[in-house]
Amino acid sequence: MNPIDDDTLQAYVDGELDAASAARIDAALAHDDVLARRVRQARVVRAQLRAAFDPVLDEPVPVRLSALLQPPSAQSTTPATSPVTLAGGHGATHRRTTHRRWFVPGAALAASVALLAVAFWWWQPGGDLVRMQGGQSFAAGALTHALDKALASEPDAHAAVAIGLSFRSNDGRICRTFVLRTPPARAGLACHESAGWALPVLSAVTAPEGGELRQAASALPPEVQAAVDARLRGNVFDARQERAARDAGWR
Amino acid sequence: MNSSDAVREGLIPLLPRLRRLARALAGQVADADDLVQIVLERALARAAQWQPDAALDKWVFAIARNAWRDELRARGRSQHLFAPEEVGEMAADRASAQPAQQLELAMALAALPPDHREVVALVLVEGLSYGEAAELLDVPVGTVTSRLARARATLQAHLGKDT
Repeated sequence: MNPIDDDTLQAYVDGELDAASAARIDAALAHDDVLARRVRQARVVRAQLRAAFDPVLDEPVPVRLSALLQPPSAQSTTPATSPVTLAGGHGATHRRTTHRRWFVPGAALAASVALLAVAFWWWQPGGDLVRMQGGQSFAAGALTHALDKALASEPDAHAAVAIGLSFRSNDGRICRTFVLRTPPARAGLACHESAGWALPVLSAVTAPEGGELRQAASALPPEVQAAVDARLRGNVFDARQERAARDAGWR
Repeated sequence: MNSSDAVREGLIPLLPRLRRLARALAGQVADADDLVQIVLERALARAAQWQPDAALDKWVFAIARNAWRDELRARGRSQHLFAPEEVGEMAADRASAQPAQQLELAMALAALPPDHREVVALVLVEGLSYGEAAELLDVPVGTVTSRLARARATLQAHLGKDT
C-alpha cells in the first residue's frame, strides 16, 4: 500500500475524501499505529479549535452590533454614543470614535493576563451581583435570584433588586430591566440564556433627590432604555405573561 | 421586501457565526467585534450587490475576510501599540473558563501568517468545505489544502506535547 501523504490524511480528517479513499484509510487505521496517531493529532487540532471558538456562538451579541440590524425606525432610539457595554469591557465604549486597533502582538497578549486581576477586582464593589464568564457579564447571587423569582406585579419595596419591565427580545430571549437599590445604585438589562442572565448593559443611576428608587421602570437611565428599545419586539409582558414566563423558566 | 431589508434580516441569525469567524481572524474580543461592526456596515451598504440565490453566510464571510485583510494592510502602514487599558479583554475571555491549552492554541493561531490563518478560520473553525473556502478566497482548492496542511502542522506543534 502506498504511504498516505499529509494532504490525504488531512482531507480524511476534514471529511473531504471520497468514500473509496476514506474506506482505504479506515482499513489502514486498523493495523497502522503511526497512521492512527497522525489522524488523532490532526483531529485534536480541529477539536481544540472548535472548543476554543464555539463558545462565541453562545455569547450574547453586544447591543452595538445587534442595533445595526434593527429596522431604521428603531435605530433612531439608539443614542449616538454607545451605552456602557459590559460585553466588550470598558474600553469598548470609546472604541467607535477612535481608530480600530487590531492584532495584539503575542507579548501584549501575555501581558494582558496581568490585567485580569484588575478586571475582577473592578467588579467586586457589586457585592458579587455580577460575574464574568467568557468575556461577558452575567448576573450572580441576589441579582440572579431576583431575576429568577421576583415579579414586577408583586413588588417588594424592601428588596435590594427591583424588577422593571419584562419582554421577549427580538433575538427570542426574555429580558428584564432591573434596578439595584443598594448603593451604588445601578440599573441594567438582563437577558436570559443557557449560561444565566447575561447583562448587556448596566449603568449608574442618579437617585431622584431625597427619593428612593421604588419605581424601577421610571428610573431607567437612557442607555438602559435604549438597550430596551433596540430589543423590544411587540409589547412588554403584563402581569399574567410575566408569571407564565417565570413558571416556564424564562425560556 | 427590498434587498436591504432582506440582507438586514438575514444577518441577524448569522451574527453569532460572524462573531466566531471574526474572533478566529482578529483574536481579541473587542477587535473582533470591531471587525463585525465594519462587516455589518459594509454588508448593509452593499446589500444591492447580494444575489438572493447566493448563500448570505458565504457572502458576508467574504466581506469579513476582505475587511480583515483591509485592516491588516492599514495596520501595516501605521503600527499602533495597544493602549494598556484596553488589553485585558481577550485574556478575560480566554482565561476565565478555558483550559490553558486552548489559550495557547489561540495565541498560536494569532501568530500564523494571514494566508494560513484565514484558511484555518474558514475551514476548521467555521466548517466550510475546502471548495467553499477556495471559492471565497478566490484561490485553487489545492492552495487551500496546502495552506491548511502547513497551518495545521504549526498548530499541532503547539499541542504536540499533549497528544
